[in-house]
Amino acid sequence: MSYKLPDEKDLEAMIGIVGKNYATNNKAITASYLAKSVMGLESQIPDIVVRPKYPEEIRKILLYCSAEKIAVSPVSAGLSGGFACPTIKPGGVLLDLSRMDRIIEIDEDNRYVVVEPGVTNGQLWAYMAKNYPDWAPPIADGAPPAATVMGDAIDRGFSLYTSSVGPQGDNFMCAEIVFPNGDVIRTGSWALPFAKPFYKYGLGPDMWSFLMGSQGAMGVVTKVAVKIYPHPKFKTVVAWGMSNPHDMQDLTLEVGKQEFGISHNTVMVQGGNYPLVMTRWPKDKIPHNYEFFEKIGVSRWWMNWECWAQTQEELDYVVNRINSMAEDYKKNRAKDPDAMKPWELHPKQIASRMKKPNKIAIPYAFWEAGYLFITWYTPWNDCAQFADMYCKAMEKYGFPPVMWIASIERCRQAICMPIVCFDSTKQSDLEKVQEMNRETTEYGLKQGWLNYRPDPFIHIEAYYKASMYWKYLRAFKKLVDPNMIMHPGRLALP
Amino acid sequence: MAKTGMERLQELKKDVFRCIHCKACRFAYSGEPDRKGIGEFTGKQGTVLYEGMVDSCPAGIEYGWEAFWNAGKIWIARSILNGDLEFSEEVRDVLMPCITCGQCSAQCENKIPTVDIIESLRAALIESGVPMIEKHQLVNRLVKELNNPYGGAKDERMKWAKDAGLSKYINNKDAKIGYYVGCTASYRQVEVAIATAKLFDLLGMNFTLLDDEVCCGSPFFRIGAVDTAQELMNTNLENFKHLDKLYFSCAGCYRTFTIDYPKWMPEGEELPFKTQHAFELISDLISVPKKKKELPGKIDEIKKKLKAKPDKRLEAELKGLEAEYERIKDFKGEIKFKPNKELKGKVVTYHDPCHTGRHFAIDMEQNMIKKSENLMFDMRKIDKMIEDWFDIPRIILRKLEEDVGIKFTEMYRIKMNSMCCGAGGGVRAGYPDFSIRTASLRCDEANAIGADFLTTECPFCWRNLYDANEMYEHGMKVMGVLEMISKYDLLDIIEKPEF
Repeated sequence: MSYKLPDEKDLEAMIGIVGKNYATNNKAITASYLAKSVMGLESQIPDIVVRPKYPEEIRKILLYCSAEKIAVSPVSAGLSGGFACPTIKPGGVLLDLSRMDRIIEIDEDNRYVVVEPGVTNGQLWAYMAKNYPDWAPPIADGAPPAATVMGDAIDRGFSLYTSSVGPQGDNFMCAEIVFPNGDVIRTGSWALPFAKPFYKYGLGPDMWSFLMGSQGAMGVVTKVAVKIYPHPKFKTVVAWGMSNPHDMQDLTLEVGKQEFGISHNTVMVQGGNYPLVMTRWPKDKIPHNYEFFEKIGVSRWWMNWECWAQTQEELDYVVNRINSMAEDYKKNRAKDPDAMKPWELHPKQIASRMKKPNKIAIPYAFWEAGYLFITWYTPWNDCAQFADMYCKAMEKYGFPPVMWIASIERCRQAICMPIVCFDSTKQSDLEKVQEMNRETTEYGLKQGWLNYRPDPFIHIEAYYKASMYWKYLRAFKKLVDPNMIMHPGRLALP
Repeated sequence: MAKTGMERLQELKKDVFRCIHCKACRFAYSGEPDRKGIGEFTGKQGTVLYEGMVDSCPAGIEYGWEAFWNAGKIWIARSILNGDLEFSEEVRDVLMPCITCGQCSAQCENKIPTVDIIESLRAALIESGVPMIEKHQLVNRLVKELNNPYGGAKDERMKWAKDAGLSKYINNKDAKIGYYVGCTASYRQVEVAIATAKLFDLLGMNFTLLDDEVCCGSPFFRIGAVDTAQELMNTNLENFKHLDKLYFSCAGCYRTFTIDYPKWMPEGEELPFKTQHAFELISDLISVPKKKKELPGKIDEIKKKLKAKPDKRLEAELKGLEAEYERIKDFKGEIKFKPNKELKGKVVTYHDPCHTGRHFAIDMEQNMIKKSENLMFDMRKIDKMIEDWFDIPRIILRKLEEDVGIKFTEMYRIKMNSMCCGAGGGVRAGYPDFSIRTASLRCDEANAIGADFLTTECPFCWRNLYDANEMYEHGMKVMGVLEMISKYDLLDIIEKPEF
């Protein structure tokens, strides 16, 4: 597929739509939208950046670019869904949606909030904490505060309620999307004029699901209705340490299967291994041997359950049930019972883990100079096998074996996130990362595991293996984006 | 031979490449989403929700484009280093409207020295032949001709001292202590210079003012005119080299002498004198006598506990306290403040100048990181050191509350999360409208807590906040803390210090 390289005339056209203050081809400005880290290493400098404010402006931009065959990549504002999937080849127009930052409506009875794509986690959290303290939005736990609520959806991400209620995509009720063919579609009950965004599957087959995980490759989402959930005041974190990922996996699954009254109260169920602690510090300024971490109370592997409840009694019940199940597991079924122990967290550690949104995922670049999340979805009871395989691969390629794993929907699925810490100033490191990514992808796809955020060049294999699905995905894209201008390269489209 | 801007940028390459573009750097309190604030306040510049995280990068707020927020600039630096972008006037116009307040660095979990990176980028830009913006060219020309960027006559630099009856201190050959006044206090905010010198005089300090003092070079280090800055640095080092200690009343000058000079001096050379801000001296005269009285009791108490039961943490604490006592045991001098009817009940707030606050804190942090062997453990020490540093002016303000009866009230964004006044980084000279709007944003924040007095400890912040206060009718009094002490005759000396 070939695209037109935008020129001065195209910039003039953009300025005609959004005004001279909101469209530019200034080289410093376009370069500032690069992001080769965390979620991908393929970012390219766009040719023009446009900052629209209204859906109608977006509609005009898309119609123009479609007619001119200019590639368009939308970014919401933050690292999730925005700078996580920036412009890649062939460049073109980058739509920076950060000016669309209104919190439009909050409905405490139907329990949703309507936001524009530029609304950040930090912004929505502070607004609700002040004005609706009994409710909280499903913001990404661990994504930086500038990540956006909508970006997390479009990436099928993970939120602080995901362990309890299910995939982040399920938290989105209705959306308004502008397609490059000029149509503006509203999904779910919103398809009906004047309807509230109260029902996701309003008019039959759900089109929103085509947009989930689309990473801006179909159209531009200009508004979404997101579920909000109770934000009770009784909270704590229960943690257990163990020596291996298998005990972590099996115990967590037992707790997850309890569902009512127990795992529904566990908003964040996440664990990992000790290098997850180690690599938050510079490589030459922290001991690397496990003995040091053992001394400060960190197990080789662990799992925490962040528990939220409406009363102290309810909280105590949940905590006691998890602890008694863990004791029973240790006594009767653990592979390494001697290594299993409750992790008595300091109140400051508990407070730090419960902080939302937080900066917990940021300092892995402190180890050297850069890191990459190569995240996968697996059935929960495959996550230990995944961890074994990936930790070995990371060590083979000379990277510390850093692994983070979290439960989705009470251990129906796992999100497995190896954190590859490397020195991005070195070309040889970049090549090693990609080589390891290729090797592990080949293995992972054979196991039937899925890439969470497909790398456009390496994980493309997944689409080739799912050729019938890909055929219909492509057909849908052709319907809404006839000239295939939206975020070329993403999802192996076009 | 000093380094070029490009060489410094190359040295910082690994720091540049640590940026993951997470954009936490745009917020004050990016790590405290649940921080309780004072709610929404509508001021002269619009409405701000002072709760949780707050957008706090002045250039980002003003211009909006990603390139003007810090993360964008770091990725511009990366593009330059990778050869994907060349220096040009377009690049200059994006790099220059940054106040280099360091808010971004304070928020960064990867500890990226953003101010160093931006200043190196600017230096490399000017070296590459891209012309400075016109207003920067003007101040650069002025300082070369007159030794100050304001266009003040050379022979009028010490006029304020003569007018204030302090002539005896000009070129005082007996003194081993100097007061480096700086251009802003010499030619513009003479109130600050007079107040500081009068306090020194009252305290019995034998100090000197040198009439061949030249600009410290701060604006020129900030805007990338490193050749000019280094010439000024060399002149000052030569002029003041015979002194043991140099006092400052300007945050920018203090930062430049203490942090910049050692970086730009030839390798292996050190500052020939000690440096201290006047507020550190006043703060010490309040806090050290108290500590001197309290420490022996604390030390005895810990010794008793250790006798009963060994404890490694207590042992370490004891060692620290003993070292601290050793450091201060010979300290002489104590002050308090006189009550004042005019000030009693007035709400006084404090604006942390970036140059004395965050820049020093970040420098301490970077130095400690370099030295550390186990940063996980040392980070607590770094946090404590930073907290103590920001407490220095607050010791004075709390004492003013106790003795004078002012009501010291903090704004929402303080210390490492303080919002800049908008004057630094060459922005007041280069982009005056943006600069004053930023100062007005800060004045809004002081209005939000009902401040009668907005105090600070930097004549440059003073100027910008004062102008915004007037221009946008914020209705407060803007004043230096030492200026307040001097103007209202608050100083009450219990024991004269020894210098």
